[in-house]
Amino acid sequence: MANTAIDVSDVTFRYPGVDDPILENADLRIERGEFIAILGGNGSGKTTLCKTFNGLVPNFFEGDFDGRVRVAGQNTRDASVADLSRDVGYVFQEFENQLVTPTVYDEMTFGPVNYGQDDYRERALNTLSQLDIETVDGRFIWELSGGQQHLVALGAALTMDPDILVVDEPAAQLDPVRAHKTYERLQTLNENGITIVTIEHHTEFIAEYCDTVALVADGTVKWKRPTHEGLNRIEELREHRIQPPQVTQVARKIEKGGSLPTTYADAINRYRSFEHETGQIDDHEIAREQSRDEPIISFRHVDHGYTTLRDGDVQVLEDFSLDLFPDERIALVGANGAGKSTLLRLITGIEKPNAGRITINETDTEDVLPEKLAADITYVDQNPEDMFIQDSVRGDISYYLRERDAADVEERVDEVIEFLDLEQLQDRDGRLLSVGEQRRASLGIGLATDPSIVLFDEPTGSLDLASRREVEQTINRAENRVETVIIATHDLELVAEWATRVIVLNDGAVETDGTLRDVFPNLDLLERCNLRAPQVVRLSDDLDISPPAMTVSELADRLSRRSPELKGVN
Amino acid sequence: MSYQEEFRNALSIESLKQDLLRTAYDNEGTIFNRLDPRVLLTWYAAFLVIPWLFYDMRILGGLLTFVSVLAVVSRVSKYLIALLAFGVITNVLLYAFVTVLMGGSFVQSAMALVPYTTKLTIISVTSIAVFSGMSPKNISRAFMSIGIPRQFTFAISYGYRMLPVLIEEYHETVNVYRLRSRAPESPGRFKWRYYVYLIRLSIRAFYPMIFDVAKRSRVTVEALETRGFSHSLENDKSRELQLGDLRVGQFDVLFMGGSLIVIVGIILPFV
Repeated sequence: MANTAIDVSDVTFRYPGVDDPILENADLRIERGEFIAILGGNGSGKTTLCKTFNGLVPNFFEGDFDGRVRVAGQNTRDASVADLSRDVGYVFQEFENQLVTPTVYDEMTFGPVNYGQDDYRERALNTLSQLDIETVDGRFIWELSGGQQHLVALGAALTMDPDILVVDEPAAQLDPVRAHKTYERLQTLNENGITIVTIEHHTEFIAEYCDTVALVADGTVKWKRPTHEGLNRIEELREHRIQPPQVTQVARKIEKGGSLPTTYADAINRYRSFEHETGQIDDHEIAREQSRDEPIISFRHVDHGYTTLRDGDVQVLEDFSLDLFPDERIALVGANGAGKSTLLRLITGIEKPNAGRITINETDTEDVLPEKLAADITYVDQNPEDMFIQDSVRGDISYYLRERDAADVEERVDEVIEFLDLEQLQDRDGRLLSVGEQRRASLGIGLATDPSIVLFDEPTGSLDLASRREVEQTINRAENRVETVIIATHDLELVAEWATRVIVLNDGAVETDGTLRDVFPNLDLLERCNLRAPQVVRLSDDLDISPPAMTVSELADRLSRRSPELKGVN
Repeated sequence: MSYQEEFRNALSIESLKQDLLRTAYDNEGTIFNRLDPRVLLTWYAAFLVIPWLFYDMRILGGLLTFVSVLAVVSRVSKYLIALLAFGVITNVLLYAFVTVLMGGSFVQSAMALVPYTTKLTIISVTSIAVFSGMSPKNISRAFMSIGIPRQFTFAISYGYRMLPVLIEEYHETVNVYRLRSRAPESPGRFKWRYYVYLIRLSIRAFYPMIFDVAKRSRVTVEALETRGFSHSLENDKSRELQLGDLRVGQFDVLFMGGSLIVIVGIILPFV
């Protein structure tokens, strides 16, 4: 048992006041030095499972607990959370709420000081330099970006010198390049001997970085396998709302059976020998014929920024000009902090430009109140829960109409609810729904106003496959009712399936602006903007497939068409 | 300036936010933050008492000047000062006015109230200066060193951590309300309708914010557990480490000595 870091056996757990157990007969063994991913859909019980590792379940959440968890040879029932936490570091998914002190340095020393460790200063400084964030040690937590806050939360866990580190969805809010950096960092820690457990549903990260993967569904651990083997079980993953890596999906379509590639490197090796064939450009990536006469939204020489405590005024946009036309599907893409959200907020009129003009349907946003603009524009927030201000979804949807004393409120609300399949949710409090449901409901709030423009800020963040589909469908439905949809995102897979126009923002300036076909093949440019094209696009590039495929089925089509020995497979 | 523009400038939440944040957080290098928190607490305690010992307006005026200078040096928010001044002046006027209604003299009653009000003002200014000039860490340590339980001192520093987040959150909620509400068609004389509308929204926005805070704190409480907070409560070593590097230095002595000289200088000529 000396090599077992965590041993969960036959654990059943029920939160107090809930009928169904969240964990049911879960078994899992994690060896020392492993880098394991806990995979599962939203609500599968994966987070609860990981909270048994440091004793939060059952010592903190006092529900019905059966079974046994041993961590480093200790039964978690007999130890306190505080004691177990010396061995098990935990970074929460809502990491910003786990930071409890005002400054970075205080946060780093908080744990060691609580445990009375004399060398708390060295521990803090070492960790800061290990994570390359020495320069922020005196900063206030609230001044930091989300990515930096995540590093601080990670660092605070590391100052305790844990043997085991649990990280819940480390990449959820990061742009692709930063997300990979985070995983590389975890890999380095793992090489230094720390057992790493990540909760993740992005299988691409799992394929690249993890040794093993455990599938959690319906409160139990279905299996634990080496990553390659686990990710090959495509049907099973899909059944549990998990999206396999794109390269694996492509392989699944064109190969009969056998072992499918899961990492990008595997896929290249496998398909390098295949022959070339020029494909056809089809459907949505061709820019729609536009009557390019009048833009619906127009930015003219806009300057905009905000004031910070330390650095004075920070300019986000400088001399920024852009025209957006009706009937476009516009994707605003860019890294964290590139200015995407600022742009959307300027369109809503909630923020006004410091200089320059923004016009919506020829109305200058300076001349009207945001309340007025809201009749035409709906903004779906990055954190959908911020949009719920009433105690039922129905109340939220009707709020706007009631405010404006609209006639037939109930009918219109009913219509929106039916349109978005919200019947089940209409009487529930929006803030207590799952994230996927919240996004759907928040769109309902927007559509009730009969807008002509809908703005989505990061609509697919931290969603599993099924919830993503739900959001994508919602976006497609919305399109039938409104003129223009704008999505700000760094999820380029979503963009590849949907957009007709892609605007890449970098440091508050338009780096490039064009159709999907113009922008996505330019891999260097995307990389420079901290973005990464979907695997199929990169694979097309490496295999010299031109024009590159944008979606899984497109690439599968091309590959199967051009390789003689695979003919007829499809 | 258009109707909209005027509103924005008059009610710029942004500038209010910046000013409050600067008061609360920009205290690096202020005099009060360089002092040992225990020394400062003693100094503060003295200043809670000294004003009550004198009635001479010249002495009280001198003391008020002294603490005001300190307040300016420790970069106190102009909004807070304005609020305080407004409170003090209206208070005196109100009492005087009531006295008039009762048949007394306006000037006389106002004059009678001045010494008492000045004392309160001295204490208020001192409090604002001390607590906004100290870093949250020092405030917590100061209280901890006089034996106040860790739960309370932690709450202070946690408050500092969360304050900007709450302000941000609140601002966000007000914006959500604005995007969904209807502003009055015509603002009315002095735009009163518009202000009533904004005040109504601002009050409504509190409930969703509180709900959200409750949600956040669930994670925070769990996190505190995993970071050994409850462990530290019974751990003497931990307490020792938190207070260990407190030292009374030359600067503390100079400050106390200097204050004493100034105060004596203010009082002596008039007694």
